[in-house]
Amino acid sequence: MSEVDTFMFNVFIFSMILNTAISLYGIFARPTLIKKIIALTIFSDTANVLAIAVGYRAWPTVERSPIPPVLTTSEPTASDLTSFLQTAVDPLPQALVLTAIVIGLAVTLFLVFLTLQVYRLYRTTDVRKISRLRG
Amino acid sequence: MIGLNTLTYLFMALTSVISLIATYLAVLEKDLIRAVVYSALQSTAYTILFYLLMAPDIALVYVPVAVGLYPAVILFLVKKTERIDGELGSVEGDGGK
Repeated sequence: MSEVDTFMFNVFIFSMILNTAISLYGIFARPTLIKKIIALTIFSDTANVLAIAVGYRAWPTVERSPIPPVLTTSEPTASDLTSFLQTAVDPLPQALVLTAIVIGLAVTLFLVFLTLQVYRLYRTTDVRKISRLRG
Repeated sequence: MIGLNTLTYLFMALTSVISLIATYLAVLEKDLIRAVVYSALQSTAYTILFYLLMAPDIALVYVPVAVGLYPAVILFLVKKTERIDGELGSVEGDGGK
């Protein structure tokens, strides 16, 4: 079953890379600012999923199934710590991604209100029309 | 017999393909309301991916932000501005002004 596992994990990784490519196309090639904001949120979320996948322990060659990085005993013994360290996923990318989600929310809100001001000033959100304006 | 790891990888592949289709539709859709709905579908698939990648705390933070708050804010923006993604013909028509 190991080849099947490897194939399905590769499907996951290549889907994430294709998502990155499609959302970058959306950021650079779509004309409306709102569509650019939607593509930017998809791009940042895809980067977060890839960061979590880097910290995932059970890559398809490992037989043991992983657990979340939470130690459930209040006074752990040495064997508890050993089994925890052998099965838990890496918590460092999860902490970074938690910060990145909140910062991404703030950046998106800022971009939304910038777009609102652009629409109030120029009566359009199309970057091709905005680039033709003068004065 | 299918093991637990294989089932995990199967769900991982399925949800990532669903998110790929939803991203494609969200980027290429002209109607911005439907694009926001496709983006929310993609966020739901990413939530299942976070849970399968053993990060349930990220999933708990990600659900209200990406499925609730992003579509609400972008729907507010679409309601205040314009709904249809721009086409080149209307730009050419405005060229003389």
